[in-house]
This record gives sequence, C-alpha cells and structure tokens, in this order.
Amino acid sequence: MKEIIIFKNHFYLHKTGAIFWKEKDTLLLADIHLGKVGHFRKSGIPVPRKAQGVFYEKISRLKNSLNFSRVIFLGDLFHSSLNNEWFLFENWVKKSSLKIILIRGNHDIIPKYKFKQIGIESYEDLTIEKFFFTHHPKKINDFFVFSGHIHPGVKLIGKGRQLIKLPCFIYNKNQIILPSFGGFTGMHFPKIKNNDKVFVITKREIIEVKEKLNK
Amino acid sequence: MTPVEKWFKSNGWRPQDFQIDCWEHYNKGENLMLHAPTGTGKTYAIWGGILNEYFELKEIKEGINIIWITPLRALAVEIQKSTQQLSSDLKTGIKVDLRTGDTPQSRRIKQNQNFPFGLITTPESLHVLLSSKKHKDFFKNLRAVVVDEWHELLGTKRGVQTELAISYLRFLIPKLKTIGISATLGNKELAGEILMGLGNNFKTITSKIKKRINVKSIIPKSMERFPWRGHLGTHLIDEVIKIIRKGKTTLIFTNTRSQCEMWYHKIIHSYPELAGVIAMHHGSIDKKIRLWVENGLREKKLKVVVCTSSLDLGVDFSPVETCIQVGSPKGVGRFIQRAGRSGHQPNNPSTIYFLPTHAIELIESVALQEGIKKQMIEDRLPHINSYDVLLQFLTTLAVGGGFFPDQIFPVIKKTFSFHAINSNKWKWILNFLTKGSQSLEYYDEFKKVHISEDGMMTVLDKGVALRHRLSMGTIVSDSVLKIKYQTGKYLGTIEEWFISKLSRGDVFTFAGRNLELLTLNGMEVIVRKSKVKKAKIPAWIGGRFSFSSNLSDLLKNTFHNKKNYSTPEFKALKSIFKQQNRESKIPNSDELLIERFKTREGFHTLFYLFEGYAVNEAISSLLAYRISLLKPITFTISVNDYGFELLSDQEFDRNIFLENNLLTKEYLLDDLSKSVNISEMSRRKFREIAVISGLVFQGYPRRPVKTKHLQSGSQLFYDVFKEHEPENLLYLQAINETFDHGIESPRIQRSFEKIENLKIVWKDCKYPTPFSFPLITDRIRSKLSSESVEDRIRKMYLKLEMSVK
Repeated sequence: MKEIIIFKNHFYLHKTGAIFWKEKDTLLLADIHLGKVGHFRKSGIPVPRKAQGVFYEKISRLKNSLNFSRVIFLGDLFHSSLNNEWFLFENWVKKSSLKIILIRGNHDIIPKYKFKQIGIESYEDLTIEKFFFTHHPKKINDFFVFSGHIHPGVKLIGKGRQLIKLPCFIYNKNQIILPSFGGFTGMHFPKIKNNDKVFVITKREIIEVKEKLNK
Repeated sequence: MTPVEKWFKSNGWRPQDFQIDCWEHYNKGENLMLHAPTGTGKTYAIWGGILNEYFELKEIKEGINIIWITPLRALAVEIQKSTQQLSSDLKTGIKVDLRTGDTPQSRRIKQNQNFPFGLITTPESLHVLLSSKKHKDFFKNLRAVVVDEWHELLGTKRGVQTELAISYLRFLIPKLKTIGISATLGNKELAGEILMGLGNNFKTITSKIKKRINVKSIIPKSMERFPWRGHLGTHLIDEVIKIIRKGKTTLIFTNTRSQCEMWYHKIIHSYPELAGVIAMHHGSIDKKIRLWVENGLREKKLKVVVCTSSLDLGVDFSPVETCIQVGSPKGVGRFIQRAGRSGHQPNNPSTIYFLPTHAIELIESVALQEGIKKQMIEDRLPHINSYDVLLQFLTTLAVGGGFFPDQIFPVIKKTFSFHAINSNKWKWILNFLTKGSQSLEYYDEFKKVHISEDGMMTVLDKGVALRHRLSMGTIVSDSVLKIKYQTGKYLGTIEEWFISKLSRGDVFTFAGRNLELLTLNGMEVIVRKSKVKKAKIPAWIGGRFSFSSNLSDLLKNTFHNKKNYSTPEFKALKSIFKQQNRESKIPNSDELLIERFKTREGFHTLFYLFEGYAVNEAISSLLAYRISLLKPITFTISVNDYGFELLSDQEFDRNIFLENNLLTKEYLLDDLSKSVNISEMSRRKFREIAVISGLVFQGYPRRPVKTKHLQSGSQLFYDVFKEHEPENLLYLQAINETFDHGIESPRIQRSFEKIENLKIVWKDCKYPTPFSFPLITDRIRSKLSSESVEDRIRKMYLKLEMSVK
C-alpha cells in the first residue's frame, strides 16, 4: 500500500484500486459497474458469469486485511437498469453490516428509493470536513477531491519497444482519481499533467511511475 | 456446335482448349475447378457453359439460377457487365444483376420480389441473403454456384465463410454444381478440395496459356553510393522517370501505404511536369477517389499510378504497359500477380522492373526470376477451426428462420475448415449460442438463440437479430478516423494512433496532398489544404510482409549457384561480395554462417538463416531464450528477412553455443511459447475473433449513443475469458491462430529440420560485414527477461499521451 497524507489524514492506496481512509475507517471505491455482465448476457453477448463475482471476492479479501466499517462508492456502482445482479448485491449488503454511501455516477440510473430500501443513502456529491467526494473529476478550491468516472490507466514503455497498459491512480495536490474496482470494466488513457503523480496497480503491488526526464 | 461456339465463330474467334473443356464438363453436370491466369477468357469459359445449358432447358424456373461469388465489389461490376453482354448477344433474355454492399436497399427489395437468373455477389452479401427468413425460397431453383478468384479467398476467413455457404447450399439443393476459378497456386489440388467440400468429386481444368514475364533489375550506375540497408529506393528516381517516359502507362508498386505516399510526393516534387497524369492508389484512400484513379487508368488519362497491393488483383487495366516493383515483393506469387497487371492482352508479355532499395535486394531479383521460370508459386494456408466464423454463420441461420442442429452438424463437418469438429466441440458451440456458457446456470437472463420445443434453434429477439445483421462479415478494420475537409468532402481514413501524435496546425501528407490538421470531431479529422512544403508522412500499421518460404529457398539457391555470378545483378555486387569474403565469408548451401564482432555497443552475434522475417524473428527469440537459460544475459534483438542479430553487453562464448546443441528441434514448441510473447500476439488476434463471433458490437450506423451500455473492447473479453473461462474455444482459437498464422510454427519446424543438418561456420570478424550492415543499423526490438512484471515496470516510463486540444 502507498500512504498519502492530506490535511493530516492518512489514506492508503491499495493494489486493488481501493483507498482506505484510516481516521474514518472508510473504504473508497469507484466504478464497479455491477450488472454489466448480466446486461451483456441479456443482449446475447456471452460474458462469463464468473466475472460477476469479482467485486464480492475482492471486497471480502479486503475486509480480511483492512478494518473498515463504511464504504463510499464514487459512482457507477451499477452499469445500467435493474437486472438479476441486484439480488446478489442486496444479499451482500445485508450480510456485510457495513454503512454504505453511494455517490451517483452517470451510469447509476437505478432509482434512489431502491437503494434506500436496502439502507443505502445516495448523494450527487458529498463533503466530509475538507474532503469532497464526487463521480466526475473536478477541482474545488480549499477542498481535496476524490473521484472516479474515467477508469484511468497509463501506457508504460521500456527498452526494446516494451509496452504495458495498467490501471492507475492519478494524484495531485487538489485531487485523486481512482481506477475502476470492477471485474469487467475497461480503461481509458487520459493525458498526464506535469504535477500529476501516477500509481499503477498490478495483481501484487502498487508502484509509482514517472516520465522519462531527458529523452 | 453449341450456341456459344457458334457465337465465337461468328465473331471470328476460336475458343481455347480450356474453354471447350469447361463447356463439355459443365454440360456433363460435373463440379469444376478451373486454373487460369487473369485476362485469358475465364468468364466466357464458365458463363458459356451456363448459357449452353440454358438453351437446352425447356423452361427457366423463377428465382436465382446461378450465384457468382467474387472477392471484390469492383470485380463484381465487371463480371456483371461481361456476363450480361454475352447473354444479350446470344439473345437469351437472361438477366444478370449485382448484389453487393453497394447495392441500394430499393434495388434489393425489387430483386427479392423477382430475382434475376444470375446474381453476382460477394461472400458477405451471400450470407446476408442467408439471414433472410425467405432464403430457402430464393434458392429453390439454384443450379450452380461459381466462386471467382478463389485463390484470393482461400487463406482468409472469407474463404471459410464461402466454404460454409457452399456446404449449406448443397444441403438445400443436393444437385447443385460448384465451380471454382483460381489463378495458379502452389497447393492447387488442395484448393479444389477445400472449395468443393469433403467427399465431392470434381474435375480440374488447367489452362495451358503461359504468360511471358520480362523481369529487369534497375541497377544503379555506381554501387559506391548505393545504400547497404533498406531505404525507400527514391535515390533511383531518375531511372524510374526514364522508364515512365518510355512507356504508355506505368504502375509503381510499393509495399506499404506510407512508402506509396512518399514516392508520390517525391515524384511530384522532382518532376512537377507530371502533375495531372500521375495519381496514387491505396486502401485507405476514399473509394470515390480510388474509382476515379481506376477509370483514369482504363481511359488512358493517367500515365503513372503509385499504388500498393490495392491494385494487385481484379480489374483489368489494358493500357498498362509496364510495372515497377519497389523493394522486395516478398513472394513469387505476388511478384507474378503484379507483373500480370501489365501487358494485359492475351499474347503480350508482361514487363516488370525490380527496383532494389538496398544492395542485397539485387540478389532477390535474380531469385525471383528463377522462381518465375520454375513457377514456384506459394501455397495459400487455409484457416481451420475458425469457430468465430462458425458462430457467426449459425447465428445467421438462426436469424434466417432457424435450424435443426442434427441437420446442420453434417453440413458443417463436410467443410474442410471444420472437418475435425467432434460432437463435444459442437455441443460447446451450441451451448455458447443458447446459454452463453457450458453449464446450466440459475437466474441467468442470457438471451441470444432460442431452442423451441421441436429442437429448432432461432433468434426471437429483434435486437439480437438486428445487431447480428449489422455486424456480419469477417473483415475487421483497425480503429480508424475519417479525414474530411471543412466542407465535408471525404478523403479517406487514417489510424487513430498517428493522429494522436499530431497537434492542431500540424501538416501531414495524405492521398498526395498536404493537409493541415484543424480539429478532431469525434471520429472525424477535419483538415484543410496547406501550402507548407514539409509535411509528416502517416504510417499505417499493416501486416509486415515476410518472405515466403519459396522465396527464401530460391534466395539460398541463388547465392550458391555459381552460374548466377555472370548476371548483371551479381556483377554489380562484386565489390560488396569481395568485402564480405574478406571480412567473413559467403556461406555455402550446407553452411549456417554466424558472425561475431565487437563494437562500442557491445557484442554482436549475427545469424544468417535466410528464412524470412517471421521465422527469423521467432528463431531469434528462441535462441536468445535458450542462451539465457545457460547464463543470465540480456539481449537486444534485430531481425530482417535474411537473418537476425543478438546484441549483448556481455560476451557469450562460441563454445557455449557450439557445445550445447542450441539449434535442436526438441522442445521446440514448448520453448517457443516461453520465448515469443504468445499472449500479447494472441491478444491482438483475439480482436478480430471477438468482432466476427459477435462478442464486440461496433454500433449502429449513425446511432452510436444508444448502444453505449453494450460496448466493450475485445481486450476486456480476452482478459475475462483468460481468467474465468480458459477452456473457451474462441480464446483457444486466438492462441492457435497465433501459432499457425502468426509465427507460422509449421514452417519453423520445417526450418529446424533443415538447420539441424547445416554445418555451423562461426566467424570472428574485426569489423561489421556488408551482410550485417542492414541488421546492426536497424534496431527493432529487444526482449527476453526473466524478471517479474513488477520489476519490469520499475524500469519503465510513462508513455506520453498527446492529444489535439
């Protein structure tokens, strides 16, 4: 895990793409896109159903190593309209005994009351102390912003035309953008600016990468 | 005398032997496979037989009587014209019509109500017809199906598509005659068997007409300043202009689209007086412009056309007198094909000039001449077990009124591509279509193909059917952007990654024009003409052609045959050969030459296998891998058609190499899969498979937004299958295709059998040799690490993403 300290709070960036907020025992997750597998299958595109279980496996493994009692989803929790995967989720919510907050993303078209019925509050954005939680990345003066939406990734180049594409966190003094935590989601490659730090995630580690200075 | 013979006679022509043969055997009701060069009267040989039969029939039944499949829409137009002409000249009242991607909807509807006697179509359009619920009705009076230019389809997935369609049509009409037309091929026998399907008899007819081909090498006046390594060849431009001025119309063949742009640019720049009579032609240029160029050629308005393989086949351009091949054509078949674009009249010889881009290519010219003499035309490797095409075809049948699996299984099994399919794999395919997986799963909403009570498999969902119809076909294009003027005029397509490297205001060359990038608008690049002289030349990621195995055999023999030393090409190379012999040696036919020398960069070890780029590349990684097992070492590898170089910062001993039997063919496939980046290559292959099999939907035309929730990259599918469903047949297909068509493992195996018997000649040299020069100056890639991904990442850097703002 990589530790970053913002306004005296400790945040740990995890190789799964999650962020653990120590002071508040909170886990931050972005862009799970639940129901995407089912949505594809319903349209005749045979994505393996096992991909539906990835989120639940990942989060239960996290629960074993990190002590969180609250989860904030930074949008695009569900991919599209209601389908059978809702029941899987509902089941998990009941068993998990976590406090869950949903920041609504552009994909979240399931009505708020459905979430409310299973004890989940939804917000367009949320402010906690000096921290601002939202789906779309943005800059807000005097606040530090957590967001998702773009599924950030980077291409790495090495000697001999090596090329690797990996999901990453993009972090600067104003905000951090989380990679997608879902099991069947793609990546986009945004332009990295000068003062951005990039942390790529692999199955085993989280690693900071830099630009080559002199070409 | 048959009516067609009479017609020939009345025109004062004499039918050729192969034409008479075709008419006779067609009349007997046999399946035919005709091999003949283009421009020798193939169409009359087949259509004539069909017309003779027409005169014998008492009644012409309604519906399609004849289907004629061509690989190109442009060719379809020509065939339609000539068959209709012949039919009208013979006063038959027969109608021949086109049905291709260019046929407007209104015309299709008209056709569906009253089909013409003959329908000229493409494999894709034929499949679209099969997806119609009424297709059994359309084809009920079908008598024959003709497949034109079969050699072009064979070896592609369109070939598999054709095999499936023919097998199915035979199932509908057991008496159906199948007729194939093909240019000469290495594997001629097999080509016929594949088209006809297993267990069907057919008669092979070969035209005896031999086209004479004159090959001339363009030899530079002075070899001193002639480059040793690959270049554009534009230093020989003055020679080219002399040839152009001599003849009526000249085609200049280049190997890549960017080489094509550069040659055009260079000619126009150095010889501005040619403006107006010179044009260019390649696959990314808008169809309208291409058609304009093609017409210009036919109407003798153009004197020079710079082109790529886009003009290799099909349409006849009678005025073309001369062809120039820039750089290696990489295969005998392609060279003959290109030469054949000139001197199109039956008795005229074809003339082609070979323009070497570097010194060693002159030897290739001699090898090619030998190859033409011996007619060493390459085989076309058919695709087998293309499950993606099969899934698409079955969905087509399910959309087109449905199918019973027990009836269709034998139809599939009779095709060459799927002759080895067993009932387990068949079951897997059906489960994939109906359940989206292999086990019964609860709460699943998978919906594609429905099984009705009587066992019929159909598509009920209208959305599934519509998406299928829109994405049929096996040609998958790269992600490309459209180039347009502000006024909306369309120029052609360009690859996304090239544009991503430009900024607003940058000038690049396209279709021979200098264009300034104004803005990016979704999938469109808006440009305007620019007066700036210096412009960037776009590159297109195309398949890198590799030497065919025929050409590499020819090349090796050419080297060793002393007789060749008197040719002008070898005379020109005399000084280079002398230097090679002084520093190292020219290997004999039973020797494998390895050179070692040291420079500032490190230890260079060069291997001259002459096996072509693809094979050399695989063997280089394999050797590097095997050496790295003996001691920890890092290699930089560079490859060309002639050989490869392993560059290392530490020396590995020649004895290590000689004593450890590193060139053994044992554990070959095993070592290959460890050394070559199979997973990266199959990931790339998977893209095509995902599109063909319908996993990735590319969107409704002009309605991109609605499907957004259904769009996903093939990469993602590859990862998900790899992780959750590694037994998935489509995933396995990607790996098999990588071995068979990507790294050509059968050819590597054959190469190793040869290499094992070679005597290794290791030369320690003081200086780089002439042979080594193209390799050591052209660094391509290094690889091979025993490091973990994480360790590799620590040594890597961010690739800067630049975008147009």
